[in-house]
Amino acid sequence: MNPASRFSRTWLALLATAALFVAGRLLGAEHEAAHAAAPAADAHGHGHAAASVGVFSLKQIAHSYLTAYMFCLSLCVGSLFLSLAHHLFDAGWSASIRRVTDTVASLLFPWMVLLVLPIIGFAWAGQLYAWFNIDPSADHALDVKKVLFNKPTFTALVLLLISALGWIANTIRNWSIAQDKDGAAHWTSKSRKLAAGGIFAFAFFTTLICFYLMKSLQHQFFSTMYGVYYFAGSVWVTLITLYLLTFWLGQPGRPLEKVYFKRQQQDLGVLFFAFTVFYAYIHFSQYFLIWNAAIPEETFWYVLREKGSWKWVGMTILFGHFFVPFLLLLNQDIKRNLAVMVPVGAWAWLMHYIDMTYNVMPVIHPDGLQLTFWDPLFWFGMAGLIGFLFWRKYQTAAPYPLKDPRLKEAVTHHEVPAPGAAAAH
Amino acid sequence: MSASPLKPHALLAEFGTAADIFEAAILCRDAGFSKWDVHTPFPIHGMDEAMGLRKSPVGWFTFCGGMTGFSAGMTMIWYMNKFDYPLVVGGKPLFTPLYAFPVSYEMTILLSAFGTLFGMFFLNRLPKLYNPLFKNERFKKATDDRFFIVIEAADPKFSLEATRAFLTEKCHATAVEIVED
Repeated sequence: MNPASRFSRTWLALLATAALFVAGRLLGAEHEAAHAAAPAADAHGHGHAAASVGVFSLKQIAHSYLTAYMFCLSLCVGSLFLSLAHHLFDAGWSASIRRVTDTVASLLFPWMVLLVLPIIGFAWAGQLYAWFNIDPSADHALDVKKVLFNKPTFTALVLLLISALGWIANTIRNWSIAQDKDGAAHWTSKSRKLAAGGIFAFAFFTTLICFYLMKSLQHQFFSTMYGVYYFAGSVWVTLITLYLLTFWLGQPGRPLEKVYFKRQQQDLGVLFFAFTVFYAYIHFSQYFLIWNAAIPEETFWYVLREKGSWKWVGMTILFGHFFVPFLLLLNQDIKRNLAVMVPVGAWAWLMHYIDMTYNVMPVIHPDGLQLTFWDPLFWFGMAGLIGFLFWRKYQTAAPYPLKDPRLKEAVTHHEVPAPGAAAAH
Repeated sequence: MSASPLKPHALLAEFGTAADIFEAAILCRDAGFSKWDVHTPFPIHGMDEAMGLRKSPVGWFTFCGGMTGFSAGMTMIWYMNKFDYPLVVGGKPLFTPLYAFPVSYEMTILLSAFGTLFGMFFLNRLPKLYNPLFKNERFKKATDDRFFIVIEAADPKFSLEATRAFLTEKCHATAVEIVED
């Protein structure tokens, strides 16, 4: 098949899903209109704002900002995970792209800590988390969780946990930069030890951070899978971002020219595919367990998200976040086909943003999806800022770990050192 | 040719190193042989390209197996729970893809694995009870420390003398011998 027709096929598949999304949106609007006549709201006692929120209200701004923040945080924690995984598995192939993940992850401190300050401000102003305004003695669901869900602990832990992840990321990056100078192997073994403890810190801290920032929007909710659900989506969107970014950086005349090969491209594509499946597995499991157990403390979260056009947003996530990329990327060679991977990358960004919206926005727009200009503004604004900060920081050190002991494997593996054999590259 | 007492099955060429056989495989590929194979004691990365092998079509067997498993799982559960013996359990719907998913998913994996295994058998024409290479003494070293290229007599480009010369002179095989049928 020629690349052009494959390209148009990719777009066709993406457009079909987008059409589903728009159709759902229209159906949802119809549904809203039908309900406008009888506005007796469904009062199931799980205290989210019943009335929709005005475009210029602080509530809307706060939630749009939070959605964008969770998206950008995904890229940072996803990158941190990949750096940690590299050291844990003593990987070879990823040595050449590790400076990129190290640098994105290192933005956790101070930048993601600074960017979380407005969220804490909105929270204290009573614009984000309903539980900030509730007396625990009057709300059993809050009372049992008040050890974690109280204002000082929230504030301290959110700042502390993001800083701690940032410290891990910066330390690993700094050790790698120190290795650029002396080439000593002990930097690698130190990083490996830090990664061994760091992966536990990463799992617990990332879970707690997304419990605080996103899950506590509806503090009554229970789901032990929520953390790994955020993690799975985060690494997913990070991998495709990294795929496109390192491809660009690996072109002739660019920083990774000498260390980026088909193998890195293929492996990133394969990992992205794996996380497509992993995310679906995790999100389905969360939904299925809640559906099957049918306990009101858990089901209300999805009941809200099956009202109005949210149902179609859910369907868009099911098909657009899983089935479309899954079926598109099943074939081995597609993972190196840019005519597919570039649109899939843009699509993955949209899907992850919709996924974050699906988690945040039903709280203030229970009737259905309602996008405002704040959403793209904060999304592109913050992603642009993160991109700029990355690029600035990336240029302050060598573009790849120059003297990493595994770098040789990254640039030679899967190529036979045959004298005179025509080199593949 | 009738002068030869042997009925050749193939020519067996021995090489001492992975690098040598890698070079030789490229030469055999470029010489246009079709019925030939490489035997090494361990996998050599890049050998697929050196031999000019196409991508294996076994993935299609996997895919078909998986699709069959998924639809069979869904259909089975629909048939049993909604059609043949409707029974309400826990107030749940008689059929929904939701609860049928885990089982269908397991069926997908199971039949994908079967598709892969039996598809591979089929494509490799296995099981095969006998191969003339089995009784060749030299070939036993393929599992130890030697590397072999086998060009079958059935190959349209095969010619006992020319191919032997090609393997010895061009490919620098350390030894070339005839494998009898």
